[in-house]
Amino acid sequence: MQDPFNILVAGVGGQGNLVCGRILAEAAIQSGLRPVVGDTFGASRRGGSVLTHLRIGTTDWGPLIPKGEVDILLGLEPLEALRAAAKFAGERTVAIVSQTKIPTVVSNNEPAEYPAIERIIESLNKLCKQVFILDAEETLTQIGSMKMLNSYILGAMGSVTQTPVSLEGIRESLESLFGSKSANIVAFDEGANVVP
Amino acid sequence: MTPANAETILSGNEAIARGALEAGVAFCASYPGTPSTEIATTLQKMSEEYGIYVEWSVNEKVALEAAAGASWAGIPALCSMKSLGLNVASDFLLNLNLSGTGKGGLVIVVCDDPRGHSSSNEQDSRFYAKAAQIPLLEPSTYQEAKDIVPFAFQLSQKHKVPVLIRSTTRLSHSRGLVSMGEDLKHIWTARPLPENLFNVPSPHLKHRDLLDKIERIRDVFDNSSWNTKPTSKDVDLLIISSGISRRYSEEAIHLLKVKNIEVVNLVTTYPLPRKVITKALKKTRRVLFSEEIDPFVEEEVRSLALELDEIPEFYGKKNGTVPAFGEMTTDVMLETIAKILKLKLTRREQFDSDILIPRPLTFCAGCTHRNFYWAVRKVRKRANDKLVVAGDIGCYSLGVFYDRAMTTMQAMGSGIGVASGLGQLERFGFDSKVIAVAGDSTFFHACIPGLINAKHKGANLTFVILDNETTAMTGFQTHPGAVHQEVNLKRVKIEEIVKAIEPDFYARSDANNIPELVDLLHSTISKDGLKVLLLDSVCRLEVARREPAVEGISYRINSDLCKGEKCLICVHDFACPAINWDKAVGHPEILDQLCVQCGACVAVCPYDAIKEERV
Repeated sequence: MQDPFNILVAGVGGQGNLVCGRILAEAAIQSGLRPVVGDTFGASRRGGSVLTHLRIGTTDWGPLIPKGEVDILLGLEPLEALRAAAKFAGERTVAIVSQTKIPTVVSNNEPAEYPAIERIIESLNKLCKQVFILDAEETLTQIGSMKMLNSYILGAMGSVTQTPVSLEGIRESLESLFGSKSANIVAFDEGANVVP
Repeated sequence: MTPANAETILSGNEAIARGALEAGVAFCASYPGTPSTEIATTLQKMSEEYGIYVEWSVNEKVALEAAAGASWAGIPALCSMKSLGLNVASDFLLNLNLSGTGKGGLVIVVCDDPRGHSSSNEQDSRFYAKAAQIPLLEPSTYQEAKDIVPFAFQLSQKHKVPVLIRSTTRLSHSRGLVSMGEDLKHIWTARPLPENLFNVPSPHLKHRDLLDKIERIRDVFDNSSWNTKPTSKDVDLLIISSGISRRYSEEAIHLLKVKNIEVVNLVTTYPLPRKVITKALKKTRRVLFSEEIDPFVEEEVRSLALELDEIPEFYGKKNGTVPAFGEMTTDVMLETIAKILKLKLTRREQFDSDILIPRPLTFCAGCTHRNFYWAVRKVRKRANDKLVVAGDIGCYSLGVFYDRAMTTMQAMGSGIGVASGLGQLERFGFDSKVIAVAGDSTFFHACIPGLINAKHKGANLTFVILDNETTAMTGFQTHPGAVHQEVNLKRVKIEEIVKAIEPDFYARSDANNIPELVDLLHSTISKDGLKVLLLDSVCRLEVARREPAVEGISYRINSDLCKGEKCLICVHDFACPAINWDKAVGHPEILDQLCVQCGACVAVCPYDAIKEERV
């Protein structure tokens, strides 16, 4: 195992970044590993960018992933995924990104146009080793709402790439947080079946 | 709670709270502020089980005073706050240090915010330890964050000094595994206060006694096992780190795969353990400092080195090797070490792209602060731009990003203070109307003296209180004016305080009604004297916490009435996150998953295109 194994979760306040970090940390502990989770949540309630840095290792690492050292990038939002990749992605980075946009707002009457998804994907491909784009909107709307995207993307992560924690381990952590009947579990299982 | 010896995942702040429990803390007073809030929040959750008294004080100075009272009566007291909070409390701290604390002990935790993620400034609060000449401890891991607290209490109880623990954002707000100790439930009985709890008539002699104490504490630090030592006798580059920078230093060494670099980590940073440092400096020719914000340890070590026969070469913030602003990170350490050792880093070039548009912070959908600033913009136009808004600290500080609706924004309570000065400047030809803005928790924290000053001196201004009845910015802590009070807390109404001050004009209004708000604000600023507006405001997050969502109502934009690209007022000017510009169809849409059905946008549209629909 890469030690530390680094997972970066990028999203917007309210998307459940912190929960993602917590679930993965719990699963890592259950696998006998030592997680360190660094959250940037000062702005999380105000619609700003949120990053969760997860380090999984046999010893404690610093709370921030160094530039270029990301193993997996979980993008809950395409623009935020690109912002995180621009700063932290490297030659090992596998990006798993939801293509559903969350629009930005105008600041001080200076509008900026949200880029086309194709351009975001193109840039992500330049920055990462491998990029998986998820279209979860229809599935998640059926299950309940886009609020379950964090559970869905964890399932997808386990199905497309190797991590130090197993798919079953992550699912168990989700169950212990939300209960086995939760729609989050349904979303996770849907994500796990998304193998392209 | 988790039993002893078990490992559990805790944030730095939770670890500090757990450490306080293990130290037998019985009294905690705090004012919320990022990144310190969770310390008191965690203790509050345990307060009943452990018989601890926990309060959100009205401000940090009162919190520290309350905690000192408890300490004097023999009750172990903890007082946690953010960096700027210590500025508020410092007046009392620089008296308390001389008078001394009591048998209970008093530990202050200050959480600094390098980079100012959630702060109005970037400041290093460690200088307060030096100013007050009190011991300073800086945990560098989650385990130390817990373990340092009982040590801090012992130190305070023995030497009768307040002890300062300093954390920074990345330690406070990250999580790792911590091995638990015993959390004995203590039963404390208050005892009579000690004598001489004042510094007069000879503060200088109290100062002399404090200097003696700090030398005794230096000895304790020199002989403690908190600080690490170099393992080899001839270290090529010695890094002296403190706080979370320790991990960044260790990881940078690991990534560079360089040999003969060692990290000496200091946990007891003030008074500097001179023997520990002197010994370490003798084992190297080069020293690099790794610490967050200012060169605090660096300056202490550099000044100590002047007494040595051989002075090593120093690299740090003083000579520009390390940036003296912003956050410390592994990347900063990596680049710094590479620079000193003349190593070449193979790193990807900076990715620069015009598509990476910013995601500015904004008011939540339905937040009535947006309505207020909308009104400010309208009134400013009517006043031909002759309007100054002196702002304050809270969610509504985001007004600086909202068409620059807020002109100034500094410290808690500074809006009304600055305005009470501006409100005197007509005699010098100042011809703008003056508005001061504050939230409800901020009103109690620091606005009352400024408001009384404005009344007494006859300042010409309008003070607007945005009262959403909760401390929204930091997670809904109860304050004296909140409608929902916990048991045993008595409500203090802002309205009654304002009326007692007898402003020249007072009105209370609903921040949900934009047209009324615009007219009221306009007519109020046109009056002379001290005017106060109390706006009943709504925090949608607080509402969502307490009440189920409204169903059956939704808002739609009528595409026949909407002027699309020619107007864009609702999208670009009002800028609610729930209104999105749909480029494909050429007019805006309401995003149902974000909309909270407040209806504020209905009044914003000049063409009546936004309508309420009952489903």
